Amino acid sequence: MSAITASPSTPMTESFSRAITASPSTPTTENFSWALRVHDLNYTYPDGTVALEHVSFEIKKGESVALVGPNGAGKSTLLLHLNGVLHSSGSRGAIEILGETVDPKKVHEMPDKIGIVFQNPDDMLFMPMLADDVAFGPINLGIKRDEVERRVRDSLEMVGLSGYEERVPHHLSGGEKKRAALATVLSMEPLVLALDEPTTNLDPKSRSELIDILKRLKDEGRTLLIVTHDVNAIPELADRVIVLNRTVVADGTTREVFSDTEMLLAAGLEVPVIMQFFQVLQAFGYPCDVLPLSIEGAVRNLTRTIANGDGHVHLHIHKHTHSEVDSALGKYQHHREAGR
Amino acid sequence: MKYPEIDKYASLKSPIHEFDPRAKILTFTFLIFLFVFVSDIKLAAINLLFAVLLLLISRLPLKFVFDRVKVVFLFVLPILIIMSLTVKGSELASIYGVSVTYEGVRYGSLIVTRATAAVTLLLTMLGTMRFDTTIKALHMLKVPGSLVQMLMFTYRYIFVLWDEFSRMWRAMSCRGFTLRANRYALSMLGNVVGMLIVKSYERADRVYKAMISKGYRGTRTPKTMTEFNMMRKDYALTVLIISIAVLLQIYQVILSVEL
Repeated sequence: MSAITASPSTPMTESFSRAITASPSTPTTENFSWALRVHDLNYTYPDGTVALEHVSFEIKKGESVALVGPNGAGKSTLLLHLNGVLHSSGSRGAIEILGETVDPKKVHEMPDKIGIVFQNPDDMLFMPMLADDVAFGPINLGIKRDEVERRVRDSLEMVGLSGYEERVPHHLSGGEKKRAALATVLSMEPLVLALDEPTTNLDPKSRSELIDILKRLKDEGRTLLIVTHDVNAIPELADRVIVLNRTVVADGTTREVFSDTEMLLAAGLEVPVIMQFFQVLQAFGYPCDVLPLSIEGAVRNLTRTIANGDGHVHLHIHKHTHSEVDSALGKYQHHREAGR
Repeated sequence: MKYPEIDKYASLKSPIHEFDPRAKILTFTFLIFLFVFVSDIKLAAINLLFAVLLLLISRLPLKFVFDRVKVVFLFVLPILIIMSLTVKGSELASIYGVSVTYEGVRYGSLIVTRATAAVTLLLTMLGTMRFDTTIKALHMLKVPGSLVQMLMFTYRYIFVLWDEFSRMWRAMSCRGFTLRANRYALSMLGNVVGMLIVKSYERADRVYKAMISKGYRGTRTPKTMTEFNMMRKDYALTVLIISIAVLLQIYQVILSVEL
């Protein structure tokens, strides 16, 4: 129960409380403050390419973690290991969920512990009708009919697709498909939710809708692991960032990770645009010790600075301003860096 | 994207549309078997009329059905020609020394009529309910699970594959490819089909992973929550259609005995 007492401000979700009260016979559930533990995970593709090397990290209950890394860094491969779908001799015993080691032979027992949302929703929606897809997981878990119906209703409502029960997957738009895929996993009410690039290939409106859904899940106290390239969405969605490039390159709070420019650069990543913009402002003489990560942070920062400056912000150009701007921007221009 | 959908008109209203899916499948299957074993051309014609009558009752647009029957004709028409030329009997005409026989034409027409009647029935059956309903009804009728699953995935992914193929095809057209009857075009077409197979294989792998991630064990057909309610009128309609069809056959037998 430590996670819950540790964060009394987080409203406990129904599923969360049920999952804990439903398994009083397993004392392990209550002895661990972390939900997911990966310890020395290794994976090599059949062709000999090393995908994951000594990957280790832990995620606390109720924590929301972003997993970033360049293409081919092994992020999706890592996700598939979490419930044992992918496994090898190097992954044996490497993953524990709530103190229980993931057994590749018992993948079918995992859905209520960890739900994985794949990157391509067409791979997730395989039944002829959307409601069947959302009911698929709960039915496999042997849940009673009226409870399945409730979950289908709730999950679809959660992702804003109420009334889409009888729709055929191939008639949904890209954004709807992404949300539908999420609903098919939410209906299993997993303790840990792992999502593979939930915001890619979406138009701005669909993207912000999906981010809202994820924020709501985070506020409900769900444990989330979000694989993403969308650095601008990370400050809103995650408390912590893990940088993966075959192995864990960095692991810390969002601010810590985004402050380590060299590491990010080496991993081929960048920081949120708003952070870059405030670095430029600094070059123009804007007083700012802690760079804001998100628009909301920027608004707070500006308000504070203006209040401190008696209602004004002073920006100016001096001899070195432009070279400072260039160096602030140049940090993230990988292509130029490579060309030099 | 335009899909060749079989259940485009499943939302229309007609007695056939409202017929319980399971009863519909059983009734129409019975009718199809009854009609294809008929050996008399007159009876076959009457059966065809009965099939068309059911089609009219179902209010499916005739063009929708005709477009699909046309395709079946491509396969059946050669039989008519081959039969006319090969079955021995009284000669009707002679084309370059090959004789066209009365028995051949008769036998060929019988096959064509039977096939048309069966296909009309099948299209009426499939066209009047959503395809997922058909699949679920088959499952409830205890059709083997692997068959139902195969049908289900074929239906779900045929559109995805079609999209994938169209995308590749468009990408080729954008780079100046046109299909001509030459070796180069054929080998390119082969490449596309090959790529499609590779892509499908990889997709199948991902879908399978998604399925086992959601607790699937492969042992039984994925269950759904749909339930159908057989009502008295469904039983009545089943009995009515089957009796009419059977009576038609018996009537013909009685007639032929008297003649």
